Amino acid sequence: MNPGILLWIILLLPVVGSGICQILRSPKNVMNFVCFVMALIGILEVVTAGVVFSRNTIFSCGEWFYMDALSAYHLIVMALVFCMSSLYGMRYFDKEIHEGIFTLKLAKRYGTLWFASLAAMTLILVSNNLGMMWVGMETTTLVTAFLICTRASKASIEGMWKYLIVCSVGIAFAFMGTLFIAAATYKFQGSISGNGVFWTQLQMHAGLLDPKLAQIGFLFIFVGYGTKAGLSPMHTWLPDAHSQAPSPVSAVFSGFMLNAALYCIMRYTSLIKLVPGNENLSRDLFLIFGTFSIVVAAAFILLQHDLKRLLAYHSVEHLGIIAIGMGMGSLGIFAALFHTLNHSICKSLGFFCAGRLGQIYGSYDMRGMTGALRLSPLWGGGLLGSLLALIGIAPFALFMSELLIVKAAIATNVIWVLVVFLLGSCIIFAAALKHVISVVYGTPPVLDFKPRRSSIVDTGIVVFSLGVLLVLGLWMPKSLHEILCRAANIIEGIDVATIVCVK
Amino acid sequence: MSFMTNLVDTVIILVILTNFMLLGSSRLRRCIRVTALQGILLGILAILMEDGTPTIHLILLSAAIICLKGIIFPFLLIRTLRDLNVQYEVEPFVGYGTSLVLSPLVLVVCIWLGSQLSLPMGVTSSLVAPVAFFTITCGLFLIVSRKKALTQVLGYLVLENGIYVFGASIATIQPVLVELGILLDAFVAVFVMGIAIYHINREFEHTDVDRLNRLKG
Repeated sequence: MNPGILLWIILLLPVVGSGICQILRSPKNVMNFVCFVMALIGILEVVTAGVVFSRNTIFSCGEWFYMDALSAYHLIVMALVFCMSSLYGMRYFDKEIHEGIFTLKLAKRYGTLWFASLAAMTLILVSNNLGMMWVGMETTTLVTAFLICTRASKASIEGMWKYLIVCSVGIAFAFMGTLFIAAATYKFQGSISGNGVFWTQLQMHAGLLDPKLAQIGFLFIFVGYGTKAGLSPMHTWLPDAHSQAPSPVSAVFSGFMLNAALYCIMRYTSLIKLVPGNENLSRDLFLIFGTFSIVVAAAFILLQHDLKRLLAYHSVEHLGIIAIGMGMGSLGIFAALFHTLNHSICKSLGFFCAGRLGQIYGSYDMRGMTGALRLSPLWGGGLLGSLLALIGIAPFALFMSELLIVKAAIATNVIWVLVVFLLGSCIIFAAALKHVISVVYGTPPVLDFKPRRSSIVDTGIVVFSLGVLLVLGLWMPKSLHEILCRAANIIEGIDVATIVCVK
Repeated sequence: MSFMTNLVDTVIILVILTNFMLLGSSRLRRCIRVTALQGILLGILAILMEDGTPTIHLILLSAAIICLKGIIFPFLLIRTLRDLNVQYEVEPFVGYGTSLVLSPLVLVVCIWLGSQLSLPMGVTSSLVAPVAFFTITCGLFLIVSRKKALTQVLGYLVLENGIYVFGASIATIQPVLVELGILLDAFVAVFVMGIAIYHINREFEHTDVDRLNRLKG
């Protein structure tokens, strides 16, 4: 069988699912359908990634679709986040369905948009053409905007509007950057096809790109996709959108959409490093925006009262950490990619717990949320676990990846970044710990209803996520190590494996 | 050749003038009309970029731009304007006089920036890159300095127009990529829809910035 067909399947199956959601008959059916089809797609995506790892690359549809270790790794992260969120979403809307707020119409729209956003994000990962990659990102933005106001309220419309205004400008900038990169190819116009800019072709000829045009192009790309990735100071949409969206959607936002935008920047990074005169451009940008994100996140986390906004600012912080890792070359890139996986799992879990606790308390204001552990041991415990992992408590995987970034910082001798990173992490550590302790412990308020019991599926999600984080923190499987090395090689252009020795 | 260059230059200078008009006008209806004019100018620009007879790609692109930016969006916007019953942009963050005084300075900076670039292939006028930058800056400025949601949408249209000015200059070598840019208009469509459905009239305050302000001193 031609492996290229797999790329078509993972791209088209969500589109089909998106259509089928429209003909289902009850909200419950839609949620179950989303969950089961997502599981099927998830398995196919993992299989696809496996095939990519064994063959190095897959092409399909001429040169238009392409996958290598870097995109396959992101595909696995995406499959994981989407599967977990769909599974969680199956029970999340129970209460609303029961009360009749989450009607069939809303459920259908939710299911359709859910699969549509999956398809758009898949398009980002399988595109070899940088123009198509941009189309994927643009579609993602449009589709997810409507997911934010699944339940239309004044606040959710505001969140959606800000998201659209800020991100549309970002997407426009990214397009401008793509045009600049296309213009920079004029020296080797004859040797590439005129149908657009293919990453594989550009990489072969990157040394011939016009330095000035490529430089401006990369600046536009970085700011444009950086807006979507939530790097500060372009992050302003992020806390509003994350806090207003339903929790499964927030989990996908934080767990994968931000990473998808960063993935786009990674693709360009591997090109710009080869352009004469621009070798250090990506490094400088990543370090500056990364440290700035950490500082801003620290300031806002300190003053935060809303649980979901707190988690959203944690995303800004962690994307900043990933960015500074990216700026540190070989070992840093390896650590940044590892951190991507850890952060996605951990942050999804955080939003899951916050969502269900919010339903119990009726609001996300942390000043009113006390004694979560007694009220709901599962979600309270999950929140405690995920926040402890997020702030970098030792045995969890996030600690390991952050430690690797510290190592990389010392190795590359960027002490100022290291100082800002450590200071920011300390502030966030103290602030977040204070917030989470007040939420988790203490005497719970008296409720006039009995919170619904958590099902076996819920327990499974919490135990699975925390388990994976714990295992990855203590022991990294050889296969994961190799995958990360190969993905980092694509960005760095040299053999990272020789430099990275984790144990 | 020189006749074509003159023609391109004329169109580009008209684009600059439309930008000035947008910055200095408080009447929303006039702003919409000027943006429509700018859209039509862009459509013309796309055809003029090719020496000799334009290709089918370019003709289609130009037709699409004129239809969308020159006819459909202005029509929708004016209809929304009527429904919402707003006529003037009130109390912008930066006044009209100030905007107009600052804009030539920005134009000078953009011309300097453009002169730093060596744009290759088929660019018939050296003004293309500077005017692209200038239009993008104007669009961004309108988005951040005006308070009505409708003016922000106009700002986004202008920003997009700036990108098209640049796109038109490389449309001859990368036609497919430039055509993809039409998808940016999907955002405009969604904005107009959002304003019409949810009656979004003004921009929203950012609560967090508020909170940071209160902790001063």
